Amino acid sequence: MNKKNFEIKTIFVFVTVLFTLFLIVPMCFVLIKSVMADSGGLGFEHYIDVFTSKGFLQAVGRSFLVSSVSAVITVVLAFIIAYAVNNTNLPNPLKKIISITTVFPMLLPTITYGFAIIYSLGKKGLITEFLGLNVEIYGFRGLVLGYVIYTLPIAFMLINNTFKYIDKKFIIVSRVMGDSPLQTFFITCIRPIIGTLGAAFVQSFFLSFTDFGIPAAIGGEYTVVASTLYNEMLGSAPNFGNGAVVALVMLIPSILSIILLNRLEKYNFRYNTSSNIGIEKNKVRDFIVGILSVVILICVLSVFVVIFIIPFVESWPYKKIFSIEHIIEFFKDTSLFKIYLNSLLVSLLTALCGTLIAYGAALVTSRSTLSRKSKQVVESIALIINTIPGMVLGIAFMLVFSGTSLRNTFFLIVVCNIVHFFSTPYLMMKNSLSKMCASWETTAMLMGDNWFKTIVRVVTPNAKFTIMEVFSYYFINAMVTISAVIFIVGARTMVITTKIKELQHYAKFDDIFTLSLLILATNLIVKGIFAFISKSQEKRKEKR
Amino acid sequence: MKLFKKIILVSTAAVLVSGALAGCSSSGNKEVVFYTNADDEAVVAMQNALDSNGYSGQYIIQTFGTSELGGKLLAEGKNIEADLITMSSYYIDSAQEEKDMFLDLTFDHKTLNEYPSYYTPITCQEGAIIVNTEALEAEGLAVPKSIKDLSNPEYLEKISIPDITGSSTGWLLVQDVLSEYSEDEAKTIMSGILKNAGPHLESSGSGPIKKVRSGEVPIAFGLRHQAVRDKKDGLPIEYIDPTEGNFSLTESVAVINHDNETNPLAMEMAECIIKNGREELLETYPTPIYEGETADPENQSANPKVFSQPLTVDLLTEHTEFVEECR
Repeated sequence: MNKKNFEIKTIFVFVTVLFTLFLIVPMCFVLIKSVMADSGGLGFEHYIDVFTSKGFLQAVGRSFLVSSVSAVITVVLAFIIAYAVNNTNLPNPLKKIISITTVFPMLLPTITYGFAIIYSLGKKGLITEFLGLNVEIYGFRGLVLGYVIYTLPIAFMLINNTFKYIDKKFIIVSRVMGDSPLQTFFITCIRPIIGTLGAAFVQSFFLSFTDFGIPAAIGGEYTVVASTLYNEMLGSAPNFGNGAVVALVMLIPSILSIILLNRLEKYNFRYNTSSNIGIEKNKVRDFIVGILSVVILICVLSVFVVIFIIPFVESWPYKKIFSIEHIIEFFKDTSLFKIYLNSLLVSLLTALCGTLIAYGAALVTSRSTLSRKSKQVVESIALIINTIPGMVLGIAFMLVFSGTSLRNTFFLIVVCNIVHFFSTPYLMMKNSLSKMCASWETTAMLMGDNWFKTIVRVVTPNAKFTIMEVFSYYFINAMVTISAVIFIVGARTMVITTKIKELQHYAKFDDIFTLSLLILATNLIVKGIFAFISKSQEKRKEKR
Repeated sequence: MKLFKKIILVSTAAVLVSGALAGCSSSGNKEVVFYTNADDEAVVAMQNALDSNGYSGQYIIQTFGTSELGGKLLAEGKNIEADLITMSSYYIDSAQEEKDMFLDLTFDHKTLNEYPSYYTPITCQEGAIIVNTEALEAEGLAVPKSIKDLSNPEYLEKISIPDITGSSTGWLLVQDVLSEYSEDEAKTIMSGILKNAGPHLESSGSGPIKKVRSGEVPIAFGLRHQAVRDKKDGLPIEYIDPTEGNFSLTESVAVINHDNETNPLAMEMAECIIKNGREELLETYPTPIYEGETADPENQSANPKVFSQPLTVDLLTEHTEFVEECR
């Protein structure tokens, strides 16, 4: 028995040690730092300091306000789009375009959103000049717009996913029973997804509350918790003790969100079958919802148009002449290209190692005979990570590893990314693995394969689509993230997003947008490669 | 399946290749890491000096906002990644006092004024009132003569100033207010100025002059030399030396003491920046600092002044708190 489980035990130990060192220890460090008085002893002076400071409670209030407002808007918009994709008779190609464009912003870092908004809707912005608008975008409005763009893809994916599995035949049932159209709408469309709508709200709220990129770009004087946290750690008068307190405060809504999400789970319906048969013909409805979706998406995408224009204009907004000088200059500047390579290296390593670790952890919980307790350990790791915002993790790393030889290394950045994004890949892998036949290992063992061979020959090929999804999830997130890495990069290990923050200081927007385009192109290529592989795999299956 | 194996192979290969590329570029890890808060023009001038004297590719330059780099210095001390910095001098002073982190400079440099042994200035920047003459006339506003004038209600939302919390240029304005007036008076003046600036309170030192150039506001407080250059370029810009005085700040170069691991190139580069960079730096920051340098008469302010207390981070914090109270 002992020998049989050797491999999986090794994996279990490895995963546990990894997360103890790079999650539990750093987080404990934050906690300790927050209760350590400057004189050396224990004390709550940092808590008192933070909570009695003039701006802090205001920043918390603003964070709550701006995040909730954004989340409400996001959920409404995401619902309209998901409705258009799932409950109408719009032509399929249009539905596909709508789904794809909705998630497009995910391929760009949030700090770019902020700058794109400034250059679109600012005083000399593209849309401002085009439409002759004049809106003040710094502060509340800019933040709401940024957060909505940021969280719309995630809210849409959640709602869309639930919508897919609703059995639309119930629409017919409801009509036959004599319900009014409005009743039918509520019973067959809203009621089954109410849990998901709640979850989408909570997710959007959480993401907005903890995002750093958007306030860094467009927050202006409107200080939110994320900007307070940045200033306490990397501002003019850093106070790590106070920073630790702010980080812990940021943790509270995160933990509440996760508890809420688990509660909301119960409201979800389970249908035994799903079909699209019930969708009634209703041209007016299709037209209205279709137009609304398209308008929403045009609004979102129009904000990003600038990033394709600015790098190719001589001097925005003064000399609007086409020029590829910036692009040439950019590629001549080897230091900028080096930073792109850094990002690529970090993302590839994160994706490769992250996928392996998520796979290993999922094997432990879903395909092993290890004790319930061990499985519980891995499950709790995933749950804890879900509650920890990137900024908090980054700060924890900064506190623990500064002064050690690990500081500012690629290794640390990669580990930080792997830990930061672990939850979703792990759950994806676990779902996929636990659906597979439980007796494969036993069968293979009887056939004479050892455990490792079984995993390579049987389990892995069956999980390959999920593995690819996990890989690209890790890759893209590592490419666009800024919140954690901003605290741990060094001059030799700069990545694109942190460089953008640096370039912001000089208002070098040509370079900022060129770097953003590079991120976008790279992510598109990675997405494209995986889409191509799954397509050709499917075709091969069909042939067989 | 084959395709799947291929993708694993390809991505592994890609990691190795980009690792090798990124690795090569930082091979040996011997480059000097150079942190600076300087403006673009100064960074370019320093890079030119280094590159044309054989240091090309031997350093990595990383730029920061003043407050960010200041925070890093005070938080990390000798542990900082940088080997060489240029930074607002008052921050270097405070960091040295708290962390004892800089080496004495070992090369000759003959400054006009006296500075501590561990740094020497690269630039000197003075503050002044800057106006857009066309915009001022169009609005029918009087030309302000002093900082106190800027608090005048007639300038409501007509002035732009840098915010002391993000910009040391903003501090120059606050020094004007605090050096000349009693505490109560200073408060009234500062509150008035902040109210007048309203939405035009800028976090970057060069923000206000940009707004004056574009005519968005007729009056600003900013760096004198920038206005002098704009005027020369034929823009409708005029600069006014406030009756309270032209206060100035220097930015300096310093070498971090990493004990046994100190990179000897860092000191050489510091010397190179001073010996070969000043000429180009003077084009943008025309105030003479070293013996043998002369200033264009236009770049000599009417009323140069030095704040009565030594400039330190503590004093900056004190002054920032004063401004917060006036908001």
